[in-house]
Amino acid sequence: MILNPAQVPDSPLARRNPTVKLAVLFLASVALLFVLDPVTPAVIYLAGFIGAAVGGRIPLRTLLAVQLPFFAFAAGVLTINVLSRPGTALWEEGPVRLTVEGLVVGAALAGRTLAIGILSVGFLLTTDSLALMTSLHQNARLGARPSYALMAGHRLLQQLPGEWAVIRAAQSVRAPLRRAGTVRQGTVRQGTVRRGPGAFGRAGFALLVQSIRRGERMAQSLESRGLGLTPRTVWRPVHVTSVDLAFGAVVLAGLATVIGVAGALGLLRGPGALF
Amino acid sequence: MTATATTRRTSLFAWQLKDIMLLVVLGAVFGFLYWALVQGWIALSVATGPFGDLTQHVLLGGWLLVAPIAIAIIRRPFAGILAEIIASVIEVVFLGSAVGPLLLVAAALQGAGSELPFALMRYRRYGWLVYAVSGALGAGLVFFYSAFRSGWYGTDLLLLRLVIQVVSGIVIGGLLAKVIVDGLARTGVVDNFAIGRARLGA
Repeated sequence: MILNPAQVPDSPLARRNPTVKLAVLFLASVALLFVLDPVTPAVIYLAGFIGAAVGGRIPLRTLLAVQLPFFAFAAGVLTINVLSRPGTALWEEGPVRLTVEGLVVGAALAGRTLAIGILSVGFLLTTDSLALMTSLHQNARLGARPSYALMAGHRLLQQLPGEWAVIRAAQSVRAPLRRAGTVRQGTVRQGTVRRGPGAFGRAGFALLVQSIRRGERMAQSLESRGLGLTPRTVWRPVHVTSVDLAFGAVVLAGLATVIGVAGALGLLRGPGALF
Repeated sequence: MTATATTRRTSLFAWQLKDIMLLVVLGAVFGFLYWALVQGWIALSVATGPFGDLTQHVLLGGWLLVAPIAIAIIRRPFAGILAEIIASVIEVVFLGSAVGPLLLVAAALQGAGSELPFALMRYRRYGWLVYAVSGALGAGLVFFYSAFRSGWYGTDLLLLRLVIQVVSGIVIGGLLAKVIVDGLARTGVVDNFAIGRARLGA
């Protein structure tokens, strides 16, 4: 799913430095990895939801729509844990057994999926991917060659659906057609293109070959324009401002507070809950 | 001509832009293909209900493909790890993957697992067995991280998950990679890379 909007609308969150946002998102995700109780991720999810809606000015409809895959995945995680985790039986009927441990751990894992999901959505919907690459190059000291190669890759990616359509069309022209008598009338029309799973593979391979060729040409044109020469100057430098640093500090402090309070209340559980 | 050849041999860690670009292209194309494939896969996932997350393991090997392909074409240390990391960056930043930045950690582990057999062969052997071991290790190494991240430990399905993932790694992430690499070599599109130089004896 391509989440990144063509143009990121202005919002307090969109104005923050992309590298700082990415670092905060990464640290929060790692911290959530070690939390295994249902309450803490739920609180972080709520905070993230409010942050994305208010700070990112993301419309509620959009925010809920992009979360649909997370909801589905979280439901699957919860079900499979309830059904397959051994422990105190809550309900038993033949081979089906529901356990208390499964319910608690499943809810914790589902909550974590949703919490990391909302934070990622808040990041992606307020960050322009090219601005992120520019910022990573300037603020995170990512080398010029990988940065610009990735930006060229971004352009390539935008054109892939079009090229895919062209390849499929070109292969359809030469593909064998369904003849009369080979298929039942009415379900599939005569003279339509016969297509198996092999067609997907052939089109994919053609796309790969064509893209490798283009990548080589792109590398040559980037080098002929002087990429890789030092010293380099940049157009429109990106800075990490004091507001960005304050934003990062406040979010991480908030996260630490939630985890700390949960620990003090005895709600917090670590990876030990799994075993 | 001989002079260029010697510099290339000695500078083992000096990457050419062409090589970096190849990693990006592999990441972009496989990211796109996987995305296209997943459209059909979601249906199967929904059809199998709560076991949707189990059936998805069958496709796991698909994530491993970029590493062995990149290693076989570029034949440099860290090509596999970098290929996986770049692919995950494209996945997260450009395609908006749901997993978030933690995918980078998984990708680095996958790349390391896939690269290990090739590194042990000093990037000189590219037989079916090396590819198969690469796929198995790529899937096997990251499994323990995924199991921790997704909380599979302590459930009845842990071993079943490991078996499905390793088999998928060997078939899709190992053997299929060799089929693709050999196909690419035959087209001549990678003749300007290390694989072409080895093939043409330059």
